[in-house]
Amino acid sequence: MALWVPVALVSDPTWSSLLILGLLAGILALDDTALAQTWFGQPLPAAVLTGYLCGDPLTGLAVGLPLQLVLAGNLPIGQTFTGDSTSASIAAVAGAILAGKHLPPVLVGNSAGTWQLLGWVILGAGLLSLLGHLFIQGERRVNGIWMLEGLLSLRDGRLGRIEQLHIRCLLTTFLRGFGSGILFVLLMVKVWIPLFTHLPPALQNALGTLPLLLPGLGVGTMIDRYGLKSSWLWVTAGMVCTFLVAHYVV
Amino acid sequence: MKPMTRGLRWSIFLRSLTLQGSWNHQRMQNLGLLWTVLPWLRRNRRDMNRDRVFCRRYYGFFNTNPYLANFLFGGLIRLETDQDAGVEVLPGVIGTFRDSVGRALASLGDQLFWLGLRPTLIMTICLVGLLGHISSVLMVIGIFAMGQLLLRWIALGKGYDLGMDIVDLLFDPRWHLWIARMKRAGMVLTGMVAGLYLAQVAEAGGVADRSLLWIGTGLGMGLPVVLRKRLPGELLIVVALVLALLLTFAI
Repeated sequence: MALWVPVALVSDPTWSSLLILGLLAGILALDDTALAQTWFGQPLPAAVLTGYLCGDPLTGLAVGLPLQLVLAGNLPIGQTFTGDSTSASIAAVAGAILAGKHLPPVLVGNSAGTWQLLGWVILGAGLLSLLGHLFIQGERRVNGIWMLEGLLSLRDGRLGRIEQLHIRCLLTTFLRGFGSGILFVLLMVKVWIPLFTHLPPALQNALGTLPLLLPGLGVGTMIDRYGLKSSWLWVTAGMVCTFLVAHYVV
Repeated sequence: MKPMTRGLRWSIFLRSLTLQGSWNHQRMQNLGLLWTVLPWLRRNRRDMNRDRVFCRRYYGFFNTNPYLANFLFGGLIRLETDQDAGVEVLPGVIGTFRDSVGRALASLGDQLFWLGLRPTLIMTICLVGLLGHISSVLMVIGIFAMGQLLLRWIALGKGYDLGMDIVDLLFDPRWHLWIARMKRAGMVLTGMVAGLYLAQVAEAGGVADRSLLWIGTGLGMGLPVVLRKRLPGELLIVVALVLALLLTFAI
């Protein structure tokens, strides 16, 4: 059942489609850290939302799932790296759809022919996320400057300044997401995806393997996070039971 | 005890959702904290000097877990209200309470949310995605979103009711029980994702090699040991591409 009315963003990116995608990126950038943190900004939900918005949720799933698995170990504790996986996921999915590509998930139907492009799009998303990290760090530095401006209120007691500064920071996060979203979509559509056809065949073949390597990488990262000693029994139990049920029962 | 008015509770609750909106490297959530408790000050303005002292109290370094922070905010509002009503609150107690409870909640939140619930939820949506239920991915996240909003609302009221006694709440052994359960659920779900993926590879026949799952898993587990640091996922994609290139030439 079609739950969403696609915004008809297909074909070349128009200003209206970029505006809608930018708004989505801005809202999800807020959700990522600044507002409510509902986790709709995680790569898979963000990719699926973008897929629905562009009228092709399956491409959203195809791109979002391996991305989500490999980024599962990016937890906001004890590390300064954040990355901008939200804008990158939106750009990867929207970029592929706007470039007229349909990417079914790996291992679904007869989809082997599209794995190379899928690998290329996922690689692009990873690089865009690294680029987005720089923007996030810049935003936090600006927050620091404004926070220091708030010290004036501790002297003159003007509470309104505190309110304005905080709202300014929130607005900056939204604009950072909005701008990154639009920039990343354009980079995907105009540069990254057209570049694929010019890649050497060996690299294209390797890109076809990439989506198949990432789920294992995600699983390995999580086992490392939990600790092999304490997790191997539970992970193995879950794996064996699910494999048996999926392979022999269903 | 003077009850918290509904208007004040709503105002603080909504503002608390943006606690990290002005996150900065110097003092982390300090601006967000002051912005969250300002509605109380606006309703209880006294004189310029006391207002400035109030603001100074909340403008120092502050960091806690955003999902559990409302326990603390409720407690702080209760202490401020008590002090305003003439109940003796020793100097410096509010600041110490803010710092110590904030740190304890940060530590609990790291374990419960970032290492417990988040991996569990992520593996759940990946499992749902592998099964092909696209809209269910959004549904699972939506349920979490509603649940955490409800927790924040309840925590604000509970924190206000308990005041300083929140400290007793932190010692409740059920926190650690839930942390252990969440982590275990995450481990099982991680295994389930691997199992389902293996079954799908088996079903697909010759187009995919199941050894790629084991190679990827070995790489994910082995890299942090070899490098003595955890790489962000974005760099893992690049490492995986290098490995894929090597495999292409090796085969």
